[in-house]
Amino acid sequence: MKTFIKVTEIWIPDQERTRLVFGNGLYGALTDFKAASEQQHFSYDEGLPGKAWAAGHPIVLTRFEQSYFKRTIAAQQAGLTCGIALPIFSGDFLLAVVVFLCGDDEDHAGAIEVWGNDPVSGDSLHVIDGYYGTLEHFGNVSRQVTMPKGQGIPGVAWAMGMPVLTEDIGRVSEYVRSVDAQQASITTVLGIPIINSCEQIYVMTFLSARATPIAKRIQIWTPDRQGKQLVCRQGYSKNNNNLAEIFETMTVNKGVGALGRVWLTGMPVITGNREASEYNADLDNLSSMLAIPVIGRGRLKAIVTFLF
Amino acid sequence: MFDKYRFECYTVSALTNLPTFQIDERTCLLPIIRNMLNVLLVESDINNAVLENALKSDGFDILKTQYSPLFLTLTKQSRPDVIVFNLDTPTENLIIDLHKLNQQCPKPVIMFAGDSSSETIDRVIKAEVSAFIVDGLSGRRVNTIVQIAIARFKQRQALKDALEEARTQLEDRKQIDRAKSILIKTRGFTEHEAYHTLRKLAMDRNITLGEMARNVIAIAELLK
Repeated sequence: MKTFIKVTEIWIPDQERTRLVFGNGLYGALTDFKAASEQQHFSYDEGLPGKAWAAGHPIVLTRFEQSYFKRTIAAQQAGLTCGIALPIFSGDFLLAVVVFLCGDDEDHAGAIEVWGNDPVSGDSLHVIDGYYGTLEHFGNVSRQVTMPKGQGIPGVAWAMGMPVLTEDIGRVSEYVRSVDAQQASITTVLGIPIINSCEQIYVMTFLSARATPIAKRIQIWTPDRQGKQLVCRQGYSKNNNNLAEIFETMTVNKGVGALGRVWLTGMPVITGNREASEYNADLDNLSSMLAIPVIGRGRLKAIVTFLF
Repeated sequence: MFDKYRFECYTVSALTNLPTFQIDERTCLLPIIRNMLNVLLVESDINNAVLENALKSDGFDILKTQYSPLFLTLTKQSRPDVIVFNLDTPTENLIIDLHKLNQQCPKPVIMFAGDSSSETIDRVIKAEVSAFIVDGLSGRRVNTIVQIAIARFKQRQALKDALEEARTQLEDRKQIDRAKSILIKTRGFTEHEAYHTLRKLAMDRNITLGEMARNVIAIAELLK
């Protein structure tokens, strides 16, 4: 199974917290690009992670050539054409930057968008940045749409202040772009809100086709009502995975295991086999995981996991 | 086994409808039975006439080559039934190649050599040479030596396979126990329930319990 995202990285502040250093990464077979990345570091406003830190919101870079991207040659050699950086803040202070890198071949249909509101004029979101790959028409439609609070995946994520995962988006009539999504073969949408202030809202959306899902499985974990344990609220993969479902019935205590550590520290984590692994559809094997905290007003609202 | 052999010169007389036999020079009794076995004869500076003639008269198909860095590639391509060396002493490179051969595509290896030092014998045994004959090259014995070497090789391979299977079973057993204990811990299953869950997951995927156990462990590792 091909997944839409080819590379995932976590960049973390160094000891003095003045620049970003390599934290962890999933590179699959792209070992040369991995080698080129591990020694990198980024100052504030430098490179893709540094720019996201300075911007204070997710950014999408759809073209590496003649841009601020620092690993252009290595990325070109690895067939990577687009980068998305998601900064994770607690208040004003950066905890980490998660970078996703995607390819641009025709086999990979999907899109990643950053929606934002105009803090002055009001309550609707519009695309401020987007990567659509081969889905040019869908990109054009999306750039013209505005999404009021509570409508569409970005609007719902904003209203709830929680990540939203929707399968079979083409069949959901309430979804503002359902017809266009269906035409573009988009089936699944994940919306992650980034709410650092009452006025400025951002929502990051991951849209993917059935043939090239965002990840092999996506889960949303949230603290229970007592705030004592994490429970899995939603799990989705292209194929049913009864093994993953078994693990989604368990609860997680703060500080225990990878998800417990994300809750304890507010830091994203990558676990599992970081080397290339062939996906075996019969086994439904999941060999690595990226877990991203969704933080609102200094508290953990949810954890989104991408299982590869 | 019999179909591995065919009679050489087993032609039918047009007049009598009876077979005519080429008589074996040594026994003068039996027809030459041509071995359907392919021999890769790896030559060195030593005169191979006796060995080559013996192999030919015993009906082996011979492919001759000089030992070179391409030995492994040639062996894989030519796929001989048996490899025969005639040399004074095996070089270090040859021993390394034989170790690789054992790992990649094991074959019966017979070595006629002049060096009888204990060090050489030790290296050759470690390289799993099937027969090592020092100063014992006699045309009459070659066929027997080859047949015994092949039999010994097959026996050794059967033992290695059995050992590997036992190791796999033992490893599977450990992994299954570990996967069960993960399921017991995460789901509060009894041991019986954990085993049946594991078995159902394996059946759903049409894979072995061992493979399924490794899959369960891998997911648990992600959450660790």
